[in-house]
Amino acid sequence: MVQDSSGWLKTNRAGRIALICLPLVFLALIFYYPLLRLFQEGVVEEGRLTFRYIQEVFAEPYFRHVILFTAEQALLSTLLAITIGLPWAYIFTRYGFPFKDTLRSLTIVPFVLPSITVAVGFILFFGNNGHLNRLLMSLFGLEGPPLRLLYSLKGIVLAHAFYNAPIITRMVHAKWERLDPAYEESAQTLGAGRVRRFIGVTLPMLLPSVMTGAALAFIFCFLSFPIVLALGGARFSTLEVEIYTQFIVLYQHKTGAALAIIEIVLSLLFTYGYIRLEGRFTQELEAAPIRPTIPLLRRRLTLGKGTVWLFVAASGVLFLGPMVSIIVDSFTREWAGRTVLTLHWYSYIFQPQHEALIGAAPLRSVLNSFQVGLAAMGVASLVGLPIAFVIARYRFRGRRGFDTLVMASLGISSVALGAALLAAFLRPPLQLSSGLVAIVLAHSILAYPFVIRAVVPALESLDRRVVEAARSLGATRLQAFRDIELPLIRRGLLVGAVFAFAISLGEMSATIMLARPELKTMPVVVNDLRAARSFGGASAMSCLLILVTGGAFIIIERFGERLFGGERWSR
Amino acid sequence: MVQVRLSAVTKRFGETVAVKEISFAAAEGEFVTLVGPSGCGKTTILRLIAGFEQPDSGDILFDSKSVLAVPPEDRRVGMVFQNYALFPHMNVWKNIAYGLKFRPGIDKNKRVCELLKLVDLAGLERRMPAEISAGQKQRVALARALAPTPQLLLLDEPLSALDAKLRESLRTQIRRIQRELRLSTIYVTHDQEEALAISDRIAVMSLGSIEQIDTPQEVYAHPQSQFVASFVGRSNQLEGVVIAIEKECAQVQVGNVFFNTTIRGATVNQGDRVALFVREEHLRLEDSEVNIIPARVAGLEYHGESTIVHLESSVGPLRALASEVANSLHLDEPIKVSFSQGNAILFTRSVEEKREETDFAKIRFT
Repeated sequence: MVQDSSGWLKTNRAGRIALICLPLVFLALIFYYPLLRLFQEGVVEEGRLTFRYIQEVFAEPYFRHVILFTAEQALLSTLLAITIGLPWAYIFTRYGFPFKDTLRSLTIVPFVLPSITVAVGFILFFGNNGHLNRLLMSLFGLEGPPLRLLYSLKGIVLAHAFYNAPIITRMVHAKWERLDPAYEESAQTLGAGRVRRFIGVTLPMLLPSVMTGAALAFIFCFLSFPIVLALGGARFSTLEVEIYTQFIVLYQHKTGAALAIIEIVLSLLFTYGYIRLEGRFTQELEAAPIRPTIPLLRRRLTLGKGTVWLFVAASGVLFLGPMVSIIVDSFTREWAGRTVLTLHWYSYIFQPQHEALIGAAPLRSVLNSFQVGLAAMGVASLVGLPIAFVIARYRFRGRRGFDTLVMASLGISSVALGAALLAAFLRPPLQLSSGLVAIVLAHSILAYPFVIRAVVPALESLDRRVVEAARSLGATRLQAFRDIELPLIRRGLLVGAVFAFAISLGEMSATIMLARPELKTMPVVVNDLRAARSFGGASAMSCLLILVTGGAFIIIERFGERLFGGERWSR
Repeated sequence: MVQVRLSAVTKRFGETVAVKEISFAAAEGEFVTLVGPSGCGKTTILRLIAGFEQPDSGDILFDSKSVLAVPPEDRRVGMVFQNYALFPHMNVWKNIAYGLKFRPGIDKNKRVCELLKLVDLAGLERRMPAEISAGQKQRVALARALAPTPQLLLLDEPLSALDAKLRESLRTQIRRIQRELRLSTIYVTHDQEEALAISDRIAVMSLGSIEQIDTPQEVYAHPQSQFVASFVGRSNQLEGVVIAIEKECAQVQVGNVFFNTTIRGATVNQGDRVALFVREEHLRLEDSEVNIIPARVAGLEYHGESTIVHLESSVGPLRALASEVANSLHLDEPIKVSFSQGNAILFTRSVEEKREETDFAKIRFT
């Protein structure tokens, strides 16, 4: 046939196959092989298959309780997140007020804010000796702290709500804002009152967004590690914390691996369910114009507006209290019974001398974090870019399989991933010479889906004919990519890379599984200092983390228009 | 410059056959236009020639050499796209200069200046594509395609996004440049008037096949199929039955009116169901000896240099193109119209043609 004689077509096909296969081969090595090793750890003993450890987990009442508690706290957290997130979606949709756009942009913060800093902020603000309790005690002349939230289910649920309510708000608001008011108006002309209009008309149309947001929040809470570790105390443990404890504290690798296997199966199921749910509910955002809003500040104070103000104030305390506490505590110090301003904690976190609480020099961890962050950013971009290209450009048999293979990492918890990399790369036969590389790999795996997410829309919006024009002018496919596509997707790539950097910088769960003292990164050190109740140092380092991830957030908001505004989380 | 030949080229996309066994050639320096309704496969042919698609069977030859083994970047084909496809991140100068990167022999600055002058864009070099008008974009796209001295120019509906006046002036410009450079050119459009105005030859396409390929004059005067007759130019279509044949002349009954028409080419037998095409400029607003239709003026459409007269008649609604005469006409005025025996084009209506005709009706009137 004519086609077979064409060398360039063969080269083309080889290029396509390479582009499809190279990322898969790389993922096989850094992701699927470690998973396999983890499974091997859990179900193979002396070369034989055994389900002993898995059975033991299920037979042990304590582990059964842990599994149930993991689901229980995730469910409660999700409900509270909806309770806080939904009214905010309403406020954003109905009212206009100053700094609304800024506030709305801030709903993307949970994606980049390191959760260990949230945990530290919660301890500082809501703790028994925290700012809130001290304030209430001095206001009402109380003897003991009136709020006892920490080291209980309440603290965990509250912190998770803090983290996940913005996701609900973001998803529901995007839908609500574009909901044609005609639906409600026609209900109104039919005589439906306000409440009936909301329950009968608006809510059913928002339900898909609420459900998708809730499913996502549930998965996040189910797999959350730093918050439970820091706020749960000794009594409250989830699967994530238990896996960590078995591997790192008790050295029970077999039991830890069995728990990890159970968790992976559950989380993959949840993720699959989420993707199905999203696929069923994904509708094009309606083309209806954005709804007009009512100014919240001007004119008379109505009962409705009063309620809104109360709600805003209450959630302001919830969201700002912990963040402000971190900043305040990083700049203050108890000195002779008085609180004084100080930069001590900042000089502390940059000190190059060994620190016993950490087991290494604090400065080392700062350097580690930036080194790992930059490396993970590079690796995630190099993995994400070809995958994004395949997703945006190629249609082939087995595409679904490809999508599943490259997106499966979204359904694996960070601690389980850390355990897998631990099993694969910190012992023979593939032992890495530097543990830092394993940490970089862990972060890259967690981050590359964000690169894909940022780059695919950029590639899809690029007209195929622009590339063809370059080809007919004499550019090879590679030259056309370099000269045309790459410059045109550079914003998306920048956003993806910055996202990867921010995720790496804030990542604690996988890192803590892999980090020997001299390899600790900043979030791990924050956790060490928190555990040692050295909150000044923990605050200062949290501030630094917030500052850097905040910078990343500004870049992402600036260049990634409506990146997470829609309802799609993963393709 | 190059001679291009397609030989029995077929291209399928899944189940649909976009291009069906197409063969045609464009000589050196010739301007050939592919014209047809949207979805007839004309753009696919351009993409096949450019190398963006590979045919399922058949061959594409430049100067008798197959180019199927040549990748798009080595075919030396200049292409102008419907939406111009300018590089949005490069200014006008860089857009035009881009192709020269891959032609080391050419002096970049000199060549870009030459082209800017050729398409009349000097002074706009530093503008970005977003900062220039659609007409200017179109000329940048043309200059960019011409810069690396292609041996063949392909234009895919280059004027369809522009307004009527601009379209006319640009098509004159394209034709002038093409003549100056003696550049073999294949042009795609859905606008039959544009095709008639600009081309050396026209290929009228329908449903993936070429219905007729000929000079504009020939296609207009002697359409080979009912599709071509109805797609090119504006005609009145009358359907009837042949009741008698006498030498070169057939007598056709349409409703209760009888017409005499000259038979050309087609074999016609007594009793055949036929379609008569009478161009609107051939329908005269006057009495004559043969082919008279009594009618009533139903509407007057004034076009300045001419007037379209809409008529109601016993054989259905008719359109006639008239010059000054129309000024004296009034609405509802009874009138006799006629056409000469040689001006009617006759087609027998096979089952197949009927189907095509309904397809076409959809395209034209929706």
